[in-house]
Amino acid sequence: MEYFSEHYVTILFTIIYVVGCLYIGWYFKKKASQGIEGYYVAKREIPGWVISLAFFSTSASTNTYIGQAGKSFEYGLSWAWMGFIWTFFCIISWQLLGPKMRFQTARLKSFTIPDYFHLRYKSNLAKSIRVLSAFIILFATLWYMVGIAKGCAHVLASVLDIPYEYGAFAIIAITCAYTIWGGMYSVLWTDAIQGIIMFFVAILMLAIPFMFVGGVENMMDIIGSTDHLTKTGEPMRSGLVTFGELVSFLYILGIGLAIGMKQISEPKNLIRFYSVNNAKSMRFAMIWTPVFLGISLVCVMGLGALVHGMASTDEAAYLIHNTDEVVGFMLDKFDNKLVSGICVAGLFAAGMSSLASVIIIVGTAFVKDIWHVAKPMPEGKIIPRTKWFMAIYCLFVYILTLYPMAGIVELTAFAGAVFAASFFPSIFGGLYLKWGTDLGAMASMIVGMVTNVVWRFVFRFNYEPLKDVHEIIPAFIIAMLTYILVSILSKSRKPDTEHLDLVFGN
Amino acid sequence: MDFLTLFPYIGILVLVVINTILVLNRKITVD
Repeated sequence: MEYFSEHYVTILFTIIYVVGCLYIGWYFKKKASQGIEGYYVAKREIPGWVISLAFFSTSASTNTYIGQAGKSFEYGLSWAWMGFIWTFFCIISWQLLGPKMRFQTARLKSFTIPDYFHLRYKSNLAKSIRVLSAFIILFATLWYMVGIAKGCAHVLASVLDIPYEYGAFAIIAITCAYTIWGGMYSVLWTDAIQGIIMFFVAILMLAIPFMFVGGVENMMDIIGSTDHLTKTGEPMRSGLVTFGELVSFLYILGIGLAIGMKQISEPKNLIRFYSVNNAKSMRFAMIWTPVFLGISLVCVMGLGALVHGMASTDEAAYLIHNTDEVVGFMLDKFDNKLVSGICVAGLFAAGMSSLASVIIIVGTAFVKDIWHVAKPMPEGKIIPRTKWFMAIYCLFVYILTLYPMAGIVELTAFAGAVFAASFFPSIFGGLYLKWGTDLGAMASMIVGMVTNVVWRFVFRFNYEPLKDVHEIIPAFIIAMLTYILVSILSKSRKPDTEHLDLVFGN
Repeated sequence: MDFLTLFPYIGILVLVVINTILVLNRKITVD
């Protein structure tokens, strides 16, 4: 009984939130099962405000609200440059790719990112690009999902004392259930609700440290000069508020690009463009998505630095080595049941919205872009098989979550770099360059992957000046140049004029 | 707090305003 009297607010919010998500999934069950276009891209009939919130909630996850927010405890307020880079690429994605992608994918009847490569470049080689990109998705998504499930399970363990293995199972099973039931419809509508929760929770979380110390002026006095120690044991003094003192700008730039550029290349984000219903909605989403994302990131990216104002010297000495626990520490220290309950719902929303988005991406990639390409199946079997694969993949993720390997955060950032370098040139070229060829796309995809691996595992940590240069920078530039050069050299392979007229709407 | 530390907080808001002006002044085609 004591347990319930202590946790009843958080439990109540969590139950309302979970039941709401499951209800949305159940509500769209029948509609989503009517055809592939409905299940895969919600028939391209979703209003702009839903797409906008869904793009935001898919982009930000528990990695952001717990991991990145906590990082500024170590790196100071300069860490918000991450948010700036991120917002910049959100704008680039919507301005550069959004309308064009919606236009072309509807004309080509494309339902997934891999099948866009196939339909746009139209050749046998393009079919191989489709299969290769689907395999990249299956592999890269695994680490991302394990990282998020792990983050959510730790929240449940620290706030509600639920054992890690039960918490991880609950998070994955609930998200998997509503995604399987309602397909893209339930992913988008739950994402939108979760986006609203996340937006307000970001603002609430920013307010907590200020309320605790009694205002902005007090906070600035405390963090402006502190005797808390850095990771290496030096006093921070004014490091938290001084640019480049606790972390090099080059390091922030590398991580910022690796995570920010996911928005111009990662399928879970790009698939949002497919489902917009009309030009008016597109305009709404282009304006408001950077607003939702930008304001939320302003709130969370410097949060850790502010928590120094709430921590004693001993507490800070522990947290500096465990920055993932900074947000949990903040909620414990503030000790307000209502605030904790709301914030925990926000953290679940951040995790589950990103999980659901990638679950449907892996399901569609495996069934439609690997299995169906290798051995065509009757249309009636595509949706049931997609559902089965999503369930099996989630079970596999759960097993990996029970025994997580080290360095999962680095692996996730690395996967982001692989997407940016290997997918973006082919997408950008497909949307803008009529002379882009299948060979250019295939070459850039392989070169992007290889450069990422070689830079990270051969050069980066073996040469001191290169250690802060993230692999995304050389890999992206070389992959982009490869696309252009190989396309020019193989221009006889570009699709026929009739096909290009269909794609570009001439 | 020095200018470069403060910059991203202000910069994000400036980016959003510039983006809004750009979107309102461009033609959008989705079909």
